[in-house]
Amino acid sequence: MIRYLLKRLFWMVPLLVGISLVSFLIMHLAPGDITNTEASFNPKASEESRQKLRELYNLDKPVIVQYGLWLKRMVKLDFGTSFASHQRPVFWETKDAEGNVIKGMIQEALPITLLINVLSLGLIIFAAVPLGVVSAVTQNRPPDRAITLFVFIGFAIPGFWLALMLMYWTGVVHDWLPISGIHDKMSAWGQMWDTLTHLALPVFISGLSGLAGISLFIRNGMLDVLHQDYITTARAKGLAENTVVYRHALRNAMLPLITILGLAIPGLIGGSVIAESIFAIPGMGKLFYDAVLMRDFPVIMGILTIGSALTLLGNLIADIAYAWADPRVRRGVM
Amino acid sequence: MERPLLLKHLSLRMGILVSIVMLMSACGKAPSGNAADFDQPYPPTTGGTLIDATIGEPSGLIPMIAGEAAASAVASNIFNSLLKYDKNLELQGELAKSWSVSPDQKTITFKLKPGLKWADGKPLSSADVLFTWKLVTDDNTRTPYGADYKLVILAETPDATTFRVSYANPYAPALDSWAGLQILPEHLLKGQDINTTAFRFKPVGSHYYKLEEWKPGERISLVRNPNSTQGPPRIDRLVSRFIPDPAAQFLELLADNIDSMTLNPIQYSRIVPSREDLQKKLALYKELGNNYTYLGFNLKHKPFDDIRVRQAINYAIDKQELIDGVLLGLGEPVSSPYKPGTRWTNPDLSPYPYDPNKAIALMQAAGYTGRDKEGYLLRDGKRLSFDILTNQNKQREMSAVLVQRRLKEIGIEAHVRVMEWASFIGRFIKTGDFDVVLLGWGLSLDPDQYSIWHSSQQAPGQFNFIGYNNPRVDKLLEQGRLELNPDKRMKIYHEFASILLADSPIVYLYTGYGLPAIHKRVKGIDNPAPPAGIGYNSYDWYIPPPLRRNEISQ
Repeated sequence: MIRYLLKRLFWMVPLLVGISLVSFLIMHLAPGDITNTEASFNPKASEESRQKLRELYNLDKPVIVQYGLWLKRMVKLDFGTSFASHQRPVFWETKDAEGNVIKGMIQEALPITLLINVLSLGLIIFAAVPLGVVSAVTQNRPPDRAITLFVFIGFAIPGFWLALMLMYWTGVVHDWLPISGIHDKMSAWGQMWDTLTHLALPVFISGLSGLAGISLFIRNGMLDVLHQDYITTARAKGLAENTVVYRHALRNAMLPLITILGLAIPGLIGGSVIAESIFAIPGMGKLFYDAVLMRDFPVIMGILTIGSALTLLGNLIADIAYAWADPRVRRGVM
Repeated sequence: MERPLLLKHLSLRMGILVSIVMLMSACGKAPSGNAADFDQPYPPTTGGTLIDATIGEPSGLIPMIAGEAAASAVASNIFNSLLKYDKNLELQGELAKSWSVSPDQKTITFKLKPGLKWADGKPLSSADVLFTWKLVTDDNTRTPYGADYKLVILAETPDATTFRVSYANPYAPALDSWAGLQILPEHLLKGQDINTTAFRFKPVGSHYYKLEEWKPGERISLVRNPNSTQGPPRIDRLVSRFIPDPAAQFLELLADNIDSMTLNPIQYSRIVPSREDLQKKLALYKELGNNYTYLGFNLKHKPFDDIRVRQAINYAIDKQELIDGVLLGLGEPVSSPYKPGTRWTNPDLSPYPYDPNKAIALMQAAGYTGRDKEGYLLRDGKRLSFDILTNQNKQREMSAVLVQRRLKEIGIEAHVRVMEWASFIGRFIKTGDFDVVLLGWGLSLDPDQYSIWHSSQQAPGQFNFIGYNNPRVDKLLEQGRLELNPDKRMKIYHEFASILLADSPIVYLYTGYGLPAIHKRVKGIDNPAPPAGIGYNSYDWYIPPPLRRNEISQ
């Protein structure tokens, strides 16, 4: 087991270097750099000053040299500082000689994105498992049809549209929920409730669109399992239908879900740029989108590196969890 | 990270959807709290909080380095410059009490007002001005704006209230440049690396307000600076909330959570007027725009080197149609690259009228005599066919489509191609690999347009990327830089603008108005707006106590 783990971890290193090299090259394939973004298309900004900036950022060097410089810093886990955002550290806070702490960009964006994604993933599983089970048990009967219709409407409805309609309904017409942002009041005791009310709509919207996939997954898994011999056996020995469905069938039907959840781990740090813009949430999606538009290379690479490391880790965790849950796989792996 | 490139399109659709709902919805929210009459006059008072919204968050508050609009909007309330533009866009002293230009026009001497102080109480002197000049011209300072200041060959401070700069040659845009350089405190920045100093998140300035709190991703709040060099403002606190989506901003405005935002034409002329509850609480203003939209030709490509083709296209485009269609009438045609109604605009010029017959005649004179089955003009058996390139900007995309249609009517084939900004600049503008672009230029306050039109400014990365080359214009632009007398300068630029219009290297399309909406609880705002816009006297705005929103408990 330990050997297997170490082997997997070891192979992640060359894989990460390869991923980062490809990302770096693709990033540089897009024309333009930080010195010709919209803000600097200003007659007052001279070409000489822009050339000077390019030299300061090493953008005048060949791409492969730039990659080498980046890799050299990465070995020391130094993600560098942003071009576009006033030299802010990309990943984690730094402290200067006078004790002023400057927070990292990913450090600030990550918690809120994680919170929203974990909450909405929780919401999805909480709602999708019962929906999927009911759907499977009542296959092709009205409850199944109604559930399928509902989750597909949730999947198909444009999130930004529903978001704006709900913001208007709950925030302008009725004063139930705040419209955008993540905090209003500064008081400590109200903060928790305040954050929750701010997060209600974003979590609901992103949960609604994810419901279809997972609930159909559970439904199909359940259908497979319900037709197997051991379920017939369970029924034959006179078990109550609930026990058959929830104790015997559901556990096996949940197995593929583990793989899906493992693959969802890297998704947890990626926010939706559209939802974050509408709700004014300073999360990872907006950070990445803005960085791409500004050609803010250190930030782009920082997010991609963390994202790919998490993807690889997620795969590993999924494999291990799968082995833990399914004895057949365990024997094959270890 | 899903479908990011769709964002711009989506936000337009969102705007329309929200508009529809607003128009349909009959059930408005009952006015919160007391139903105050916001139109009633009140005497000026001090106090209160003004909340506005910005699309972006500043990356830092040292304007010469941050550079983006969000940063300069906040920093302009914190820092002072030597000079400023008054309500009629004439230069006026800000930190400077007076300034004088030497007879040879090479030296400018600024006299500072006496007794100036930084917000922390330390004195502000000419040494700070000199320090700021050194910073902006320092090779290690990561700013693209150093060029104007590097022309200074000698900067000196004979005494604590005098700052003197000398240029090798007279440089007329110098005064404008000193209105653009915000002075930074030497005592807090000396010996620090300006690019990374923590000062950028906790600036200390000398203007009306000082930073109170900055919550990243959420808001910046400024509070009145008791040591302000310009006297006290009336409103106590300015809060800027960062709300990236304009539709969400508008919802916040409707719900009374923010006091001001810039509207788009649909919100301005359709939604607000159609709803009585909004008319009761929102005041709408109309300001001169800061930029104009144009159709630019690559003069190095055939047939755009032919003035007849350029003029034909100019006659073929109906500018009023663009203004009515794209801006819902909330714009003006322009015929020179200056703000309409200011001294630099030549009042004798008027745009090319819409005249398709004249356009066809000019095209025929240029050799396009044939027509093919589909009605396109032919020269040597070939159509005039080109791409109109523009970036992802809804107004520009809509304009390009209207232009395309008008060109088709006279027999020119145009395709619209929309691109993301940095790719557009890197792939097409820098390489000169384009035929026609639809872009915008700023309507600058200083008339100097050397970097855009002078024939020497055509290298990759420079701004005369359309390749305009007219010896007379070159001469005028050089003269204009050497002349500091405003009246003589005005004549030079009037002639420049009339040659530019006749040459038609670009087709001026329009300038759109700025359309701020401000809650009626804010009083003291000039309406109609003066040339400088409503913000010039924001220190005189006030919010009468009965109209204030319940202050958020701390």
